[in-house]
Amino acid sequence: MADLTNVLSIAVGAVPGALSRFYITEWTKAKLGTKFPYGTFAINLTGCLAMGFFFTISKGITGYPKELDLLIKTGFLGSYTTFSTYGFDTLTLWRSKQKAATAFYWAGSAVLGLGAVILGVVIAKLFVK
Amino acid sequence: MNFLRGRYPLAVAIGAIFGALSRFYGTELAKAIFGKDFGFYGTFFINVSGCLLIAYILTLAAENIRVISTELRLMTTTGFCGAYTTFSTYGLESKNFLDKGDITMLLIYFVGSAIAGMISVQIGVLLARSSPQRS
Repeated sequence: MADLTNVLSIAVGAVPGALSRFYITEWTKAKLGTKFPYGTFAINLTGCLAMGFFFTISKGITGYPKELDLLIKTGFLGSYTTFSTYGFDTLTLWRSKQKAATAFYWAGSAVLGLGAVILGVVIAKLFVK
Repeated sequence: MNFLRGRYPLAVAIGAIFGALSRFYGTELAKAIFGKDFGFYGTFFINVSGCLLIAYILTLAAENIRVISTELRLMTTTGFCGAYTTFSTYGLESKNFLDKGDITMLLIYFVGSAIAGMISVQIGVLLARSSPQRS
């Protein structure tokens, strides 16, 4: 199980994934302010879209390398998207007394995330069976 | 945006490697225990425990309960917790339940993760606040 190839594939994906999240979050905070977690919201939705896409692509192509699958899905997308910040952001919004924004962010991330995965699958089906 | 240069990205990257690998082996462990279709047990536990950890650390830092350097905070929260927990796999696994027509499991997993995540964030905050104050 502790295969060096797996470890390397995941690590190589995880670093750019987490750094993309870090940079996008800081950039949106600087541009749009900190009233709403725009960065995390956009990251989780785009990550879900990409997850649906690459999940379908990797299933649809015979001989799709397992290393590439681990790098993109487990490494990059797993690190890019985050559940812990989503949870903490929801609490922060709640504390700032923005009830509607809290409900939208909390339920919206989950529902739109699921929708984004489905959209990703639909897009990928244009390329593979 | 000096924040994006220097040692901060390095701190995030180091945390992220350990976070992503912990998630991978956590999911593999769940598959080994419960069977290969039950990796979501791992994801559920990971997301809920990650919520507790990030709330614990951020509360310690934000409320000055402990002095935590920016590098250490970024490494453990944005790096480790961020990479450890995942939203994309949560979405994908929810979609798999939807495809199978397993509405019961969809509701338990999809709604349950969101609710359990919020509860564990609260527990993390409470744990941080109840830890002994140190100047």
